[in-house]
Amino acid sequence: MSERPSVDRLTCILCPVGCELEVRRTDRGLDVQGHQCEKGIGFATEEVLYPKRNLATSVPVKGSETRLVSVRLSDRVPREMIFPILREIAVLRPAVPVRRGQVLIANVLGTGVDVIATRTVD
Amino acid sequence: MDGTTPKETLHDVVVIGGGPAGLAAALGARREGAEDVLVIERDRRLGGILNQCIHDGFGLFLYNESITGPEYGERLAEDADREGVRFETGAMVLDLTPDRLLRVNARSGYRLLRARSVVLAMGCRERTREMIEIPGTRPAGVFTAGAAQNLVNLQNVRIGREAVILGSGDIGLIMARRLTFEGIAVRGVFELLPWTSGLERNVRQCLLDFGIPLELSSTVVEVRGRDRVESVVVAAVDGGLRPVPGSEREIRCDTLLLSVGLIPENELSKRAGVELSPVTGGAVVDDVLMTSVPGIFSCGNVLHIHDVADFASDEGFGAGASAARFARGDLAAGTTVRVSAGPNIRYCLPQHVRPGTAGVDLSFRVTRPLRACRVTVQGKESGKVYFRKKYGRLLPSELQKARIKAAVEEDMEVGCHE
Repeated sequence: MSERPSVDRLTCILCPVGCELEVRRTDRGLDVQGHQCEKGIGFATEEVLYPKRNLATSVPVKGSETRLVSVRLSDRVPREMIFPILREIAVLRPAVPVRRGQVLIANVLGTGVDVIATRTVD
Repeated sequence: MDGTTPKETLHDVVVIGGGPAGLAAALGARREGAEDVLVIERDRRLGGILNQCIHDGFGLFLYNESITGPEYGERLAEDADREGVRFETGAMVLDLTPDRLLRVNARSGYRLLRARSVVLAMGCRERTREMIEIPGTRPAGVFTAGAAQNLVNLQNVRIGREAVILGSGDIGLIMARRLTFEGIAVRGVFELLPWTSGLERNVRQCLLDFGIPLELSSTVVEVRGRDRVESVVVAAVDGGLRPVPGSEREIRCDTLLLSVGLIPENELSKRAGVELSPVTGGAVVDDVLMTSVPGIFSCGNVLHIHDVADFASDEGFGAGASAARFARGDLAAGTTVRVSAGPNIRYCLPQHVRPGTAGVDLSFRVTRPLRACRVTVQGKESGKVYFRKKYGRLLPSELQKARIKAAVEEDMEVGCHE
């Protein structure tokens, strides 16, 4: 996604209403239309200027190729950090037991966000 | 065991299936006062399909935060354990009778259970290549999206190098992103209908984010390859969903994922004589989620396909509470009025309501995308409007809810008009 049209059509993903937003870049900043609540403006601004995402994957525990622990990030990161962070996670081999919520990489690549386990493996 | 016939054990509420709906049903039954609540789960681990859904977006309604499937499942199982629910994992229910006798193949051997009430929470299955009849050879490399999700997320299997995905169901969209993360190139997602069947947010964050092409009104018309998939042929379809001659093109790939629909898993329900709806594939239920067989309740994906696990759990809590009331003799089967699907409504649940009931929660889906529309629930005799709401947009992929505040006294119809 390198090029963007001048009008962005977004679906707000903050709640199930799923407002269809239209975002235009103007000289005075962004113009957001279609939101039914104030949260829509914040969402649209972030989504157009610096979209953030969480990510989920799974890694084998130490000494096994088939017992996996699934992981995610403690918070969303700028979208362009997804693949660099995936490369960091790919070499992880956590030792059992792993607890749900356990931090496996703290402050991954300086993002201020942790990689955490999302299941318990005894 | 001393003889050939095992002894029967008696339970207040037996829940079949330990996924998001079943665990919630067990909790709902305990909170309504049922003493002996047992969950029977086929897998060795509780959580059902949640275990392989490692992406986030779960728990927004139940826990007010966005967590992953495994976290949601573990938390729900811990809640149930703390509140006195008992579990039998690695156990499969072989048969269920109308008088609620369960024949179970458990780890300890063959057992007979008698339940004062039963909650069906067996979830659903995926539609397969055979069910949609894709022509061509039969090589390895054709997976349902959920089977691929299990192999990738739970078994560390690399399923291929280049994939094509047929169908835009949520699992297919989620898998497009997951395969991209695993270094597998996704050549495109092809959807038969002129609209996506998955949620908008998944189109955005699973396809658009990674530049994966989505082609609507198109399908796979042939699979090629001898031992392993070597390519698929895709074609545009016309308004009647028939392939348009001359529009075929070949896409090289070694993997084809199918995300072409889910079917409620009602083999046990049929054995118990539960009436099924030809539209939802699940049981016909009343306002307390009781099926046509007294004392047997249904919730979650075995009742109808949900797009959000939280809603399956929400339904589970209700079914479990009803099951507890039936078990203690507080709920009898009685006469009902009918709720039917009218213009632009594919189905609505429950299909039956006890007359005089106020605060009924209806679930419904529309047949096609609709804009600037109004949903009404109207009495068939009196024409009285029980519910009316305007929507900017309604999609078939989004399950909608409507609460009927007034007491219902007559047959009703749910309709939607643009």
